[in-house]
Parts: sequence; structure tokens; C-alpha cells
Amino acid sequence: MKNFHYVTRSIFYSAVFGGLIYICMGCETIIDPKLAPAEPVLAVDAWLNNDAVEQTIRLTRTQSYFDSAPLQGVAGATVTVKNVTSGASYSFKESGMAGEYTWTPSAPKESLGKVGDVFRLELKSGGEEYKAESRIGRVPAIDSISFIHQPPSGIIPESYVAEFFAIDPKGKADTYWIKAWKNDTLLLRPSEINLAFDAGFSDGSNLDGVTFITPIRRAITPFVTDEDGNFVSPYNPGDSVYVEIHSISLQAFNFLTEVTVQTDRPGGFQELFAAPVSNVGTNLVSVKSGGKPVVGFFNVSAISRLGRRFKKNN
Amino acid sequence: MRITLFIFLLVGSLTSLAQNKYTLNGYVKDGSSGETLIGATVFIAQLNTGVVTNEYGFYSITLTEGSYEVSVSYVGFEGKKETIDLKQNLRKDFELASDAEQLEEVVVTGELEQANAQNIEMSTNKLEITTVTKLPAFLGEADILKSLLLLPGVSTVGEGASGFNVRGGSVGQNLVLLDEAPVYNTSHLFGFFSVFNPDAVKDTKLYKGAVPSRYGGRLASILDVRMKEGNSKKFEATGGVGTVFSRLAIESPIVKDKASFIVAARRSYLDVLAKPFTDIFDDGAALNFYDLTAKANYNIDARNRVFVSGYFGRDRFLFDKDQGFSWGNSTSSLRWNHLFNDKLFANFTGIFSRYDYKLQFGNDNLNLFKWNSNITNLIFKPEFTWFINQSNEIHFGGEFINYSFEPANAVGITNGAAVDISIPRKYNQEGSLFAGNTQKVTDKLTLDYGLRLSRFRYYGLGESFIFRDTIPGVRKRVQSITQYGEGETIQAYTNLQPRAAVKFQLSPTNSIKASYNRMVQYLHLISNTTASNPLDVWTPSTNNIKPELADQYTVGWFADLNASRSWEVSVETYYRRTSNQVDYIDGADLLINEYLEGDLLSGRGRAYGLELYLQKKTGKFNGWASYTLGKTELQTEGINQGEWYPTRFDQRHNFKVSGFYDLPRRWSVSANFIYSSGTPVTFPTSRFVMQNILIPYSYNDARNNVRLPAYHRLDLSFRLDGKKLRRGKERKNTDYWVFGVYNLYGRKNPFSIYFSQKDERTPFGLVPDAQATQLAIVGTVIPSISYNFKF
Repeated sequence: MKNFHYVTRSIFYSAVFGGLIYICMGCETIIDPKLAPAEPVLAVDAWLNNDAVEQTIRLTRTQSYFDSAPLQGVAGATVTVKNVTSGASYSFKESGMAGEYTWTPSAPKESLGKVGDVFRLELKSGGEEYKAESRIGRVPAIDSISFIHQPPSGIIPESYVAEFFAIDPKGKADTYWIKAWKNDTLLLRPSEINLAFDAGFSDGSNLDGVTFITPIRRAITPFVTDEDGNFVSPYNPGDSVYVEIHSISLQAFNFLTEVTVQTDRPGGFQELFAAPVSNVGTNLVSVKSGGKPVVGFFNVSAISRLGRRFKKNN
Repeated sequence: MRITLFIFLLVGSLTSLAQNKYTLNGYVKDGSSGETLIGATVFIAQLNTGVVTNEYGFYSITLTEGSYEVSVSYVGFEGKKETIDLKQNLRKDFELASDAEQLEEVVVTGELEQANAQNIEMSTNKLEITTVTKLPAFLGEADILKSLLLLPGVSTVGEGASGFNVRGGSVGQNLVLLDEAPVYNTSHLFGFFSVFNPDAVKDTKLYKGAVPSRYGGRLASILDVRMKEGNSKKFEATGGVGTVFSRLAIESPIVKDKASFIVAARRSYLDVLAKPFTDIFDDGAALNFYDLTAKANYNIDARNRVFVSGYFGRDRFLFDKDQGFSWGNSTSSLRWNHLFNDKLFANFTGIFSRYDYKLQFGNDNLNLFKWNSNITNLIFKPEFTWFINQSNEIHFGGEFINYSFEPANAVGITNGAAVDISIPRKYNQEGSLFAGNTQKVTDKLTLDYGLRLSRFRYYGLGESFIFRDTIPGVRKRVQSITQYGEGETIQAYTNLQPRAAVKFQLSPTNSIKASYNRMVQYLHLISNTTASNPLDVWTPSTNNIKPELADQYTVGWFADLNASRSWEVSVETYYRRTSNQVDYIDGADLLINEYLEGDLLSGRGRAYGLELYLQKKTGKFNGWASYTLGKTELQTEGINQGEWYPTRFDQRHNFKVSGFYDLPRRWSVSANFIYSSGTPVTFPTSRFVMQNILIPYSYNDARNNVRLPAYHRLDLSFRLDGKKLRRGKERKNTDYWVFGVYNLYGRKNPFSIYFSQKDERTPFGLVPDAQATQLAIVGTVIPSISYNFKF
């Protein structure tokens, strides 16, 4: 799906250059439709890593789609993460914020585990009981980051894009979530979710054991526009970029792929080629049969990281 | 049982052969251009019987010896009456003069001897090219496919979407034929324009049901587009300058009345106009689409005629000389018409058809991505029509298709390392045999019955996959792979497709018709997006993907309202059941996926509806109105909790009017009005936030649970014909201007409503805001102007 997004977006921008077909300029209206009422459902945000730092799991409830009230934390739950490989058990304690459950290493170098370890999340809340599993995948080191000069082309002015280099290790089905920060701001718009299956976009791409492909390497670059909507150079001297590669489970990769499809809705002409709206999956299962539905995901990552500041003589 | 009945009827019809009968046969042509006329009526008044010319303009009728008044008529032409003394078999070609006064009108002069109510056909619509060019069109570009949308039972998911939906079928369930060659992508510019150049098209016929046995391969409809043969009388050039395309068509006799050709070309020219003002096209960037249609024919003698025709079209979107995207169809057909005897007409067609696309990103040799994909066909189709007697007309023949699918011939080069990510080709054969008879049982009762037997074979070189079972709706993983050698059968399917239609004549102007047909579809258009896009791949049936099947039943009432039969009305109902419909898991990966079959689901569908149609064919004011009440649903395990759900293009009400009116002083005006109920979209109920991403959630996991607001639109077009006389003399050339307005009152017709988080960057830890956006693809008044000429 992701490569499709890349393709349609490229086509879309090229079409805008031509100015030929974008007759639907200004045809988008923000509306306020009535939605069917629905019961709240437990939402689990459990993305952990094996760094020796505090780990947080957030429990909230789904709310009406347009309800902009602050998220309501779910208090009083029992949250345990077990390292099935080592047998260790980590109890996540309710912190000051309702719904936030944290575990803090008791020793300076203590972490949840190492690459290859399998974890189980066990969750008890409001009489319901859920569990989920995740294994820490391996993660390649980031070799370097460059800022690449792009001559002006069409409506894109002279600009610099950032690019990281890393080589996917040999062996099929390593899956990653690559996160980037520009000047300490995490790039986390739905269109900026940067996933990799080995060095490519998906299983079918068969790109194993090579350098990540260009669109993945350069996806640490945001699209930046000025107040008038004109494209401006995403990186300029003085800016910094910081990249983390998180290993994620195959299930997590599939889940985030669905999240991208469901959340990255650039609108306009691309709506012609929008996939149907549907619920994203979850890896949490109810221990009891007939338990209440749950949404969210549990994943434990290993992380590799590198940052770089763009200097004038770069 | 059905076969027995078929043979019984066939034998029964043969025994009615009698002596002292002679055959009158020949062609009906346009007198000014020599083009044969498809569907012209040859009527024998004394006997109140007649025949209609076939796709090559040929007719044959066998009568007892005697003198007959034969009248020949065709829409838009002056009828002809001639007395013929039939004492022996007689070859007689008729040339009809087009009604000069109203050359471009949608009119019928004289009586239509074989009208709506007389014909056995139902669920078909014929679109005259003169009508297409008169309809108000998007950006003023006359378009055959967009004109189809004005017919009953035909709809679209929205503006800009490619293809069309027939009676609740998907876009990929229509077989589109251009001179018998299948066209796999009918769109230019995604879906705004169709690939058919109106200057080169003679005739268009849409079969929505009651499909004759000689057609097969798709569930919902057959669109049969026939190209002009080229003027065999004189040189003629037609062309125009429009908002999008510039067009030129040249036709001319090679040998007068014996051989002729037509070459027609179109090209979008915005890039040409823009070039002096911008440098974006300097480094090889391109943004254009074009097509070339050509055909030649040669009348070898009275019994033999050959045709060669071809189409080549391409859309090009290139960012620079190396990067971008292009796609197109190429087809060619070679045909030989042969008259074995006065009653046995044969046509042999050889066809090549190919659809391909190319995609390339990255313009240095260290990092690039290149992807080519194509579907290629070779087809041989022998077809025979045996005009046995007045009561029986038998069609029989075969169709043999060889398919080669190349889903991806692709390479990715990343940081200097090249990886071949190609997916192996797939090879298939489809062989069909068919036979059918149109039988006038009594004056009141006519039957049309036939059978089509098809066999589809998926063969090596290749590999087949067996997938592990999972919960429905979840990606299936490969369990085992089997290798097959060259030519070895991987999977084969055989299907018998009965077709039957009946007409009962209540009165000369009133009839009731009914039909049943089974259709089988072995190729599947893999697309899970709202509109189909050029990257969508066609994939054959395999051991995992079963052929799609449809059974359709129709009943209708047809009438000609007044004596001159200028008004016609019909009421039809249809019911279609489909099985093995392809559906998709959520988050399906459909492109360059070797294990695509693991992401596909199989479901069933049902579609039913009522179509009303009223047409006024003659007079200063003419046109038609159509109304469709329809419903189309799917049921797939793993989607919508396994319950029936409406398809994305389901429309309850669909009402359309097209009118034409002649104004004084060389002006004429035409208008379309369209009203259709909103198509369904999916609304979430709730949301949750995970890692600062706002994710929509539907508590009931529903699909297509809410309706968009209704769609309506008015288009208007004024035409100014050039002066007929210049300095008192008749002009040799003709020309006209068309001033059009699409979406006259500028309605922002919703194409979709989508839900997303607001675009602002939300600091980590804060909750992003949600919004719903209603989108119109064409949300404004679109004026257009075009100039057209002929000399």
C-alpha cells in the first residue's frame, strides 16, 4: 500500500505542475456530520523499547470521533510485562497522570531485555483481561546522514533534503518504524509514518539485505510550505535532524501499514484512489471468551539512532 | 436438459426449410461515405417481416418467389423503398442518403419498421455517434464512455472515476471491445476522458443483459465499439480544436467504392501551449496523452472483404526524461468477412491487445526504481451467421484467447545494489465455443437461445501457492509452493453458460420480453480503491482465485407510443446474483505482491433494479429520460462482520434527462440533467490516540454505512453551425462551434467525505484535532469552447 501512496503522491505533484487537472481547487469543505453513538472501548498504547529508561503504557478509552475533550485515562488497571525468554516480570505502576503506567529501571543499565527476547503484556482492567505478545527484532546501525542539494524544479525551489543510510541485515522479514526529528520536533503526521519491510516498502518488494531504498531514506524530510502554501526548502543550514530506527514485529508492521492507510488522507484528487475505511487491527486479545473489544497495540523495539546538524559548508 | 431443448429447437427450425425460396442479401451503406450501417432495417411490408443488418452491415433474408416492396431504413437517414422481383438469389446493396437538412440530428426519417417493441433485444442501448457529439460534455470533449452514463442502468462512482458501472457491477466487470479487441483501461488522465476518439467511431452498443452467446468473459456488461471504415467515396478530413484535445481525422478511398482508410489522432496540447511560458518541460518532463486510431478495408469481391484496424494510445506523466509514469493500450484487429453462400456469412478475426504501464523513479544509476507491467492477448475468433430462413438465424463460432500477464517486471537499485523484484509472468488460455438461434416461432413469439461453453486454463511455467487458513479478513500466509513446467496445467475451469431470451408481441407496438443469462469472468481487475487507477493489475483465475459467476434475469415491457413510432418507452427489471466476487482484506497489498492471492477474499453479490426509459426520436425537440431504481450489495466473510453491505457505487435513484432542440438561425441547444442518490461511504463512530496518531474507529466495524448527499448537475451546450452558403454558393466544407457549460449551477457534488486529523503538527503528548472533509472533484462551473470542421 505504501508504495502506492508514494506513487500517487508523485503523480499528484507532477499533475499539479502541469496545472491541468487540479480543477477541484477549493472544493473541499470542512463539515460537521452526525455520527452514530458508540460505547467507549479500552485503547492501549504500549510501544516500549529496550533502552534503560522509563517505559510508559497509556490506557485510555475511545471517544466520539469529534470529541476534542482531553483523553480520559483508565485508572486502576493491573499492567504487567513479562520477558518470556528470561522469565523476568516487570510491573507497570500507575503514575501521577490517570491512565499512565510506568516502569523505571532500578539499576542504571537495566532494560526490559535484549534483541530476540519475547514479551507478553498482561492487562487487567474493569473485570476484563487482555494479553498480547511481541518479540524484539534486530535493528541495523545508521551509518550516516547527508543533506542533499536539489536544484529547483517546477514549483519546488532550490532545496535540501535529508537522507540517512543504513543497510538492512540479510534475512527476510525484518520490519522497522523509522522516526525522525527535525530540530527536536518529531515528524509524526500520518503522511510521515515511515515503515520498512527489510529495505523496501513491503513483503512483496523482496528487498532484503541491501541499503534502504531512496524513498525510505529520504522520508526523514518533511514537506514544508510557507504561509502562502509555497514549497520551501525542508532543511537549511543550522537545522538538525535526528533519526531512530525502531525494530517492530511483523504484526506491528501490518498494523501500522493499516494505520497509514486509514489516517493518511491528503484529500483532493487522491480521494479517487482512497482505500475503503475500515478498523485497524490489534494484537491484544481477550483472555476470556466474549470479552469486550479492545483497540491499540503492544510492541517492544530495539532502537538505533544518529543525529546531524546541517552546517553551512556541508 | 437445456442442451436437449436447444437441439430440439434447432432441429425443429431446420425441418421448416421449404422449396422455391430465394435469398435476398447484401449490405446497407451510408450513400455519402460508403460506411456500412449496423442495425439498419430491411423490411418486407407484405409479410410484415424484416431483418436487421449485422455488425458488418450485412443482411440476408429468404423469401418465396415473388415481387416485394422492400423498405430500408436507418436512424438519421432517408428511408428507401424499392420493389424487387425475387426469381433467383439476389445480391442487393442499398445506399441511404443522410437527411441533408438535419445531418447532425438524432432523428429518424420515415418509419422505423423494426422498432423498440419489435426487436427481440432487451437490456441493450445503442449510442449513435452523432448523439455523442451533440451531448454537452466535460470540457467540451465529446466522450463515448461519459455519454453512456446518461443511459438507464449505467452509473459511476463520481466525476474523474474511470470506467462505468452497469446494473451494480464493478468497473472491472465490463468487457470493452474496440473492433473486437479488448481494451483493458478505457481512460485518459485517470478517468476524466475515455480512450475512444469520437471521430473514428461508427457505432457503440452496450449489452447490460440478455447477452448473446457470442459474447462472454465479463459479468456485468459488454460494450461493443465499432470503428468507422473510412470514406470510400471521397477524401474527407474532420477535426477540431477543443479545450483539452486537438483532433484530426483523415479518411479517403484507396480504390473508390472498394477500399478505404481512416486515420484519426488526438493529442492533449496544454503542455504545448505552456511550453513557451515555463521551463518545467525543458528537462524532458511531459504531461500529455494522445491516441491514434486507424483502419483500412478492402472489398476483394462480392464475397470477401478484409479489414485491418489498430489503436494506440498513451498517457505520459514524466517529471523529467527518466522519471515518471506512462500507460496505454495498443490493439490491432485483422478481419476477413467471407460469404460462403447467400445464407452463410462468416467473419474471422485475429486480435492483438496489450495494456501496459511503466514507472520509474530515481535518475541516477545508484538509486532507482523501475517497474513495467502488462497484459497481452492474442485472440482468434471465427464467427458464422447462418440466415436459414425467415424464422431462424443461427450464430455459431468460437473464441480462442491466449493471455500473458506480467504483474511486475521490476528492479530496485538502492545505493548501487540492484534487486530484481519482478513477479513471474502468468500464462492462460481461454477457449470458447458458442451457438445460438434467433427463432420466430409465431408472429407473436420470438425466441433467442444459445449456449456458450468456455474453458480456462492456467499453465506453466509457473508456481502455485497453497495458503494456510486464517480468520477471514486476515492475510493468509503461504503454506506450500508447487512448481509447474512449461505448458503444464496448474488449474483449469470449464463452464457452461446458457443464454435465453423471449419476446411476446402483444400488439405491433407493444411487447413483453424476458431473458436469462449466465456469465463467467476469468480475469479479475484487482482494485480496492474508490476509483480504478492505471496501476491496477488484471489477474487471472488461479487455484486460489475462482472464476466469477453471474446469473441475470430480466423482464421488461417495450412500446412504441405513436403510429410513427417516434416515441418509445420501456420498463425493465433485472436481478443478478454473483459468486466468487473478488474482495480484499483490510490493508491489502495489491501491487508488486507475489503472494497477492493471500490478500484476496471471495464473496457473493446481488444486484437488482428497475429501469424506465422514454425516448423521443424525431422532431425539432428530441431526447430521452431515464430512471433507474437500483440496489447492489456484497457479502464477504471478514468484511462488515460478514453481513451484506452496499458497494461503493450503489445508488438507489438515478434520474437523467438529455434534450436537444433546434433553435432558429443555425443554432441548436442541448442539455443534460442528472440526479442520483448519494453513494455510500464509511463513517467511523469513535477515535483513539496511539503514539500521538489519531486513529478512527468504528464500533460496529461497518462498511459503507452512510450515504453521501445526492448528486445533481445540469450541463448546457450551444452549437452554432457555420454558414451553408458563401457568396451565394454552397460551401464545400462545414464547420461548427460548440459553447458548453458543465455543471451550470456550480454545485459542489460530493465525491467523498473523509476523516482525518488536522494538518497542524501536534506536539507529542497533546491530542490532535479531528475533522471531516467533504470533497468535490469538479466543484465549479466549467465552461468550454471548441471549433470543429469537416472538409
